Amino acid sequence: MNAPWHRLLLPPLVVTLVLLLGTQAVFLHASFYRDMGFGVQAETWSLANYARMLGDPFYGGVLWNSLSLSGAAAAWVTLLGFPTAYVLARAQSRWALAMLALILLSAFITIAIKIYGLMIIFAGDGVLNRTLLLLGLVERPVTLIGTRFGVVVGLSYFSFGFAVMLLYSVVRTIPRSLEEAAAAHGAGRLRTFRRVVLPLALPGLLTVFLTVFNLCMGAFTSASLLGAGRVLTLPVLIERSMLAEIRYGLAGALAALLMAVVIAVNLLSVLRLRRSRA
Amino acid sequence: MTGRLLSALLMGFVAIYLAAPLVVVIGGSFSAPETGGLLISYVEFPPQKLTLDWYRAITAATYRGLGLAILLGLCAALGACLLGVPAALGLVRGRIPGRAVVEAIFRAPLQIPAVVTGIAFLQFYYVVADLTEFDLSGTFAGLLIAHIFIATPFVVGSTGAILLRFDGRLEEAALTLGASRWRTFHRVTLPVILPGVMTGAVYAFLVSFVDVPVSLFLSRPGLVPYPVELFDSMQQEFSPAILASATIVILLSAAMLFAVHRIVGLDALLKSQS
Repeated sequence: MNAPWHRLLLPPLVVTLVLLLGTQAVFLHASFYRDMGFGVQAETWSLANYARMLGDPFYGGVLWNSLSLSGAAAAWVTLLGFPTAYVLARAQSRWALAMLALILLSAFITIAIKIYGLMIIFAGDGVLNRTLLLLGLVERPVTLIGTRFGVVVGLSYFSFGFAVMLLYSVVRTIPRSLEEAAAAHGAGRLRTFRRVVLPLALPGLLTVFLTVFNLCMGAFTSASLLGAGRVLTLPVLIERSMLAEIRYGLAGALAALLMAVVIAVNLLSVLRLRRSRA
Repeated sequence: MTGRLLSALLMGFVAIYLAAPLVVVIGGSFSAPETGGLLISYVEFPPQKLTLDWYRAITAATYRGLGLAILLGLCAALGACLLGVPAALGLVRGRIPGRAVVEAIFRAPLQIPAVVTGIAFLQFYYVVADLTEFDLSGTFAGLLIAHIFIATPFVVGSTGAILLRFDGRLEEAALTLGASRWRTFHRVTLPVILPGVMTGAVYAFLVSFVDVPVSLFLSRPGLVPYPVELFDSMQQEFSPAILASATIVILLSAAMLFAVHRIVGLDALLKSQS
């Protein structure tokens, strides 16, 4: 007695495949034709866009910005998110529910709104900077707009909620009985966390780090608003090539570069998972 | 006891870290700057003088953008369910050769950076228009198709996760006992997977509702979803009316989250993508 479940799969699979392959093929195809200006592309194919991208150190700098800023944001978000997810997963209190609600609310609000708030908080003559200056902690007001620090802050706000969701499922793979055993043998909460939970979670943490890194590599809104044209990342440059300069070929080649990095990081995390299971 | 203290400190820090930007936006939307300037540094927090002026200053275009974003989100959630639920049923229940590959295909839209999805859909629509004289760029349908594309993996993921835990023999029992396939689906399968479908639909709505980088390429003047309008206006001059509309969005999101909490529970949202 077998219901024909597999037949249900066909329509969604066809739709997804057409959209996936169609869109990817079109932009990759465009990347092989030189831009002639005003959105017109050359008749014959060439590797001109790729040669330009790989030959000009400007694009190398933008790639480095993307890699380093995403790495910094992913590290910060994983470091802050893991203990948060751990406390949330283990606590039963009303506070934990309120905290969860706040994390989800923050995750579900478009990043542009959060960045607006951050801009007000870090305004040159705002409360935060005046306090910091008064206390002598900084010499000049801390600014987010147009700085690498600002982009990292933006990326971390963009990815924090998602990271906590992933980290929550990492915590749930750690059997509680091990922590109870540690506690029964006299280990305090902090010691249990450090000596039992953390080592068990480490492989999961690295996978989450790579996933969040990928998310940040592709982040556009936060990087664009806080980079403000002074700190450029790949997604920002792709948007600019496409909408401001109307260079489909270059935008396609940059998008292919971004995809290549994302796929490489994905493969790395899949390989890591395989090895840790073996 | 240091553990308890540390976790309280951590929660306090995270709470301030996450809430601060939202609190400042909400507070700023009610403040009347003495200077009357339109520069961001004139937003006063905490507000010195309360006003509702900025709420009156929200333009009709902003309300249209908000309406469009909500409508797009609802349609994208519906479309994602229509594609995602059968896909999850087929993937988990069916006997499929190369299941891993099919799964990877359904997960692929999540892996593609949103900007790439945006430029790829725009160019794809150009090609389609060349071939069929059917231009989707700058139309509601064009936006919707791209949003369904990015939203569907969430429904496949959350519905699939529930199906994996649910014993397929229940359905076989219903069929053996003489229930029709439709009746089996309606009375056995659907009630079981419903929480998964609903959390997936919530995610689908949300990825659509907050999206900037995909819609940025596919909208046109007069058809601009709220997040894109917000993004555009932030690059131009500052107006506190933006804070007022953002406050409305924050409150709407909070209300929706509360509704989700009452229907499926907040932790269901957290667990669904594992």
